[in-house]
Amino acid sequence: MKYSYTKARKKSIITPELQLLFIFFGITLCMLLLTYAFLLFKEYRFAQDKAEIYQERENLSISQSSMNTQITFIEKEALLSERIYTQNIVLKDSIANLFDLVPQRITLSEASLLENGLILHGITPNEDVYNFMLQAPLRSIFHKSYSSFYPDKNGWLRFVSTNYIEDDGLSTYNDADAKQNKNIEETSNED
Amino acid sequence: MLSKLFEGLYLKVFVNIVVFRSKSVVYIELCNKNRVIKSVEDTFDTTTINAKMYNFIHTYVNESPYFYISILDTSLAQGAVATCKSREIVDFFDVSSSKHLCYADRWTYYTSSIDLHTLQKVYGRIGLDFVFSPFVLLARFFKDKIDTHMSMYLLIEESFISLSVFDHSELLFSEHLDLNHAKDKDDLSMDDDSMQDFDLESSVNLDDINIEDDADIGELDDFGDIEDLDSFDDMDDFSDIKEEDEEDYIKDDNEYSGNDSEGFNEDYQRFSLIKSSVNRFYKDDKFQSKFIESVFIADGVGVSSDLKRYLEDEMFLNVFVRRIDLPSEVCALAKAELE
Repeated sequence: MKYSYTKARKKSIITPELQLLFIFFGITLCMLLLTYAFLLFKEYRFAQDKAEIYQERENLSISQSSMNTQITFIEKEALLSERIYTQNIVLKDSIANLFDLVPQRITLSEASLLENGLILHGITPNEDVYNFMLQAPLRSIFHKSYSSFYPDKNGWLRFVSTNYIEDDGLSTYNDADAKQNKNIEETSNED
Repeated sequence: MLSKLFEGLYLKVFVNIVVFRSKSVVYIELCNKNRVIKSVEDTFDTTTINAKMYNFIHTYVNESPYFYISILDTSLAQGAVATCKSREIVDFFDVSSSKHLCYADRWTYYTSSIDLHTLQKVYGRIGLDFVFSPFVLLARFFKDKIDTHMSMYLLIEESFISLSVFDHSELLFSEHLDLNHAKDKDDLSMDDDSMQDFDLESSVNLDDINIEDDADIGELDDFGDIEDLDSFDDMDDFSDIKEEDEEDYIKDDNEYSGNDSEGFNEDYQRFSLIKSSVNRFYKDDKFQSKFIESVFIADGVGVSSDLKRYLEDEMFLNVFVRRIDLPSEVCALAKAELE
């Protein structure tokens, strides 16, 4: 039953001094917990970053090996292309030299480059012109040279010259080159 | 739950302040659950709080966080009314400027809000937990009598008298009487209508007596021996309704005989105030008037036997005096409040 006009003040075991002490320790504890939480977070982030870096490194490693493979392949291709280019230059020079050999009076109708030989078809006014002006340089180049003639309608002679280089190690053709045969057709050689 | 646990672990310190006319009594009880560990009491020459009193209270208050400071209300504008209905209590006091509480759904006690605020401000250094009405103290102190008797009950403090009339727990009338202010209008109260109504003075007006012969004087001398009239043996004739336990209170009156010369005037003032108040009770239509046959006095100051004699002789009341230790009763009230 209530008798008093006033209510009793709220009683607490915490005195102002104790309250101050609790506040101080509370703040300190709070700061420690916050620091601990911050460190935990940083550690988690660090572990996360580390895992990401490991993954990235792994990816980079895989990428690097792939790139190395590609580089090797490209280097091989570059080497191959360089070799082909060189061979083409050599072939071009050979063809140019071949056409330089052909005198103006003789007309080539077909030239076949073989692995170790050359077959020429053409028209010559006569056999002598052929023998002196074309046969001679061909013989100096090839080890074996065979020629056959047959008359054309206009009285000139059609010839077929077959020239071979003996396979004694002087050949510069390799396996790839050996497979390549080129047929060069020339309708007229005005030069 | 936790606070209950702590409450059990700590001592409870009950600081009880009772303000007298020119001093304050501070009674302190240190309790462990329901057991009193220690109790101290000291008197200070102040009616508010001085450094000495503050230090005294502070020493004990520091022993436990569970301390309760109680004081007995000293407001002049306090009282009690015979109803708890808010519609009816407005006829008796200004509700807006008062703080009131209902006692057992039977009657209401109130005090001035301003005085209550002033009291809390005066004791602001130590703070107050409980402010108790003297009417509540009186009702609890005479609970055994109030429930079974139709009587007037008085709580006598040094400066105040709390008067109430109960008819089997039902409050009929109450008034808080201030002895200090009554001194100023002492003459008025003597010439009051109440005096004329009772007309007790006229029956012994010595001036009207014509002293002519020695025989008459001799007869008067027989009546002049007041001590014989007031002896307890004679009073037994009028105390048929007295119970055995109540007789003890009357015997205690001999203890107060030492204060007779000092307390005579005050006791007469008290008597006058009581008489005026009883007259108001009889006359005022607001109160349900019933004839008062007996009065139970809770004596907190040690009144002389004169007051008892006045009440018995002049108002024809059966008087029962019970000594009350105000500070310890306030303490009991504080404990009851907490339960």
